[in-house]
Amino acid sequence: MTAAKRRKAEPAAPAVRASGAAPSRRASPKAASPKAASTKPAAKASARKAAAAAPRPDPRDRLRRVLFLVPYAVRHPGIPVKELARRCGCTERELLEDLDFLLEVGSPPFAPDDFLDLYVEGDRVYVALHQSFSRPPRFTESEAAALAAAAQALGGEGRERAVKALRESVPRDRRASFDELVGRIYAGAPPARDSVLGRLQRAIAERRAVRLAYHSASRDAETERVVRPYTLAQRFGHWYLYGHDSARGKALAFRLDRIRECTVSDERFDPPSESELARARLFSEAQGEPVQIRLGPLAAAWALARPGVRLVERAEKGGAVVELAGTSDEYATRYALSLGGDAEVIAPASARRHFVDAVRRTLARYG
Amino acid sequence: MQKDQRLLDLAAFLLKAAEPVSWREIQEQFPEDYGGKGEAAIRKFERDKADLLELGIPVRYAAGDEDLPAGYLIERDEFYLPDLKLPPEDLALLYLAGSAALASGTFPYARDLAHALNKLSFAARAPGASEAAALATRQLSAPEEGDPVDVGARVEELSRAVAHRKRVHVVYLGAERRHTTERDVDPYGLFQRGGAWFLAGFCHLRQAIRTFHLKRIVSLAMNPSAPRTPDFAPRKDFSLADFATREIWEYDVHGAVRCRIRLDPPVPAEVIASFGPRAKLAEDGGATFVEVDATNEEGLLRHVLALGDRAELLQPKGLREKARAVLAGLERGLA
Repeated sequence: MTAAKRRKAEPAAPAVRASGAAPSRRASPKAASPKAASTKPAAKASARKAAAAAPRPDPRDRLRRVLFLVPYAVRHPGIPVKELARRCGCTERELLEDLDFLLEVGSPPFAPDDFLDLYVEGDRVYVALHQSFSRPPRFTESEAAALAAAAQALGGEGRERAVKALRESVPRDRRASFDELVGRIYAGAPPARDSVLGRLQRAIAERRAVRLAYHSASRDAETERVVRPYTLAQRFGHWYLYGHDSARGKALAFRLDRIRECTVSDERFDPPSESELARARLFSEAQGEPVQIRLGPLAAAWALARPGVRLVERAEKGGAVVELAGTSDEYATRYALSLGGDAEVIAPASARRHFVDAVRRTLARYG
Repeated sequence: MQKDQRLLDLAAFLLKAAEPVSWREIQEQFPEDYGGKGEAAIRKFERDKADLLELGIPVRYAAGDEDLPAGYLIERDEFYLPDLKLPPEDLALLYLAGSAALASGTFPYARDLAHALNKLSFAARAPGASEAAALATRQLSAPEEGDPVDVGARVEELSRAVAHRKRVHVVYLGAERRHTTERDVDPYGLFQRGGAWFLAGFCHLRQAIRTFHLKRIVSLAMNPSAPRTPDFAPRKDFSLADFATREIWEYDVHGAVRCRIRLDPPVPAEVIASFGPRAKLAEDGGATFVEVDATNEEGLLRHVLALGDRAELLQPKGLREKARAVLAGLERGLA
């Protein structure tokens, strides 16, 4: 067993490593090793063989994680293990394994200075500035393409600038492949006019209130709103602005495709706290009863493959009764009519009435 | 040596080197990995180089000149993520769009997207407000508990197949969910519509470009042989954006039929927009008349019915009659 491996077996070693321990290992990496006479690379390699017993997931996943983890920890000295794990999208345990792995990373000729200087103390991670991994590597073509596809779907004035900048941050050899990949993902049409979206983006980035001309679906009329824009979010295929409505005194969601006009004001606001946002919901808890719709077999197959539809019960021949939560009577009617005669709204009573009226009034036009 | 360690050591080594490193020197520094004689060691090194490039780390071979020896190097400028130099609002766009896509649980290259969002904080001087807003976006966009997100795995598998142009074998459930068919598909691309994901690709069973609803793909297998060699090239005339933005009445079902719809005031902008960019609009006496060419009348019928009594199908006669019949059928059932 080499020095590096043995250190991990010491009682104090896992998770919490004394800050003095790392330099001491590297000051005499071979002292405790029976292979002291062998070359450094060989000693290092054999340590790795010993560590190789447990099966590991795709090695590239770990590499991508640590190539972000090292510069991030360098930039945030003493970041809590928990926080760093959250940033890396892994569990604390995985993170500690990554740190163990990193302890053994160096570069030939594997002199003490060629190893990463990192330690965990009191659940906080410290990494000294490393000469090679001070910043993460460039975007891979799929990283940049995924981000570009998402940005194109949202739209906004700056999307072409953003996509161009992303392209340039991919290694030169991979840009053709980036171009191809971007053309292979289409994540939907922009939900609002570029000018509206561009102003919202700016207002969010600068924390300025906006004045909106907004088509309110519940009243089928245009209203003027003053909103502190917190963020944009997406549910069930629709984009929403989420922000604080000053007149109503609470945070609300506004559908982007119903914002006709947007002006950015000079009023700055403080960001909502993390705990406020933790309680935030795009939709207030399902307003009223969910609407029930009876579907024929064809409509049922179609509807159940879409998001936001909950199966209540199966009916004969493949039909079904489904529920839509938190929708207006008007939306439920339109939804049922869009299924071409193969669906009807059945409950609650108000939604049923709305549906019945709509069918009769529309039929009258074709008399 | 473990592969992940070898790759990272190699990257660290080449990044640190002051000048290109010869193959012989690399062999000396990694004797257990590339030390063997002949082709096998070189092939192993080439595979590692390809893996590094996939991680965004380009290893280049420099031919050498009077100043520098020939050898391998990683140029620092080509390695480190540069500052994107974007104004704050563009950065907000990337953060918000990326975070929402990630939180939805179904987006192509979701894992790559997560890495990209992480790296973004290094690619901008002051992400500040945008980063905080992105966290909120994730909170708001995340599916509630119990929401099915099983499509996520399908999207991820298919993104790999699309990127590497590998053929897939799918078991696909018919629209009525009664029977399945098996087919080979050349995956051209993935698109989202109405919150659902679809695969567009060349179907070898139907010998045509077809659309597949990801929720109806019962099982999926990517051609496992030669993972780095493409199985096909997409047809040159294919454009995913054109394909994905077809309106429902533009699906290829029958020959084109000119249709005319009357919309009564007040007509919200979103209703007009719902007829797509190719619709012809005219106003007359307060009403708006919409003309579209439909190759799938049934789709148009449904779209118009969903608009309720403010919309009326005028032409063709047959479709107008069908609208009446559907509504009459519903009305009979209301009693």
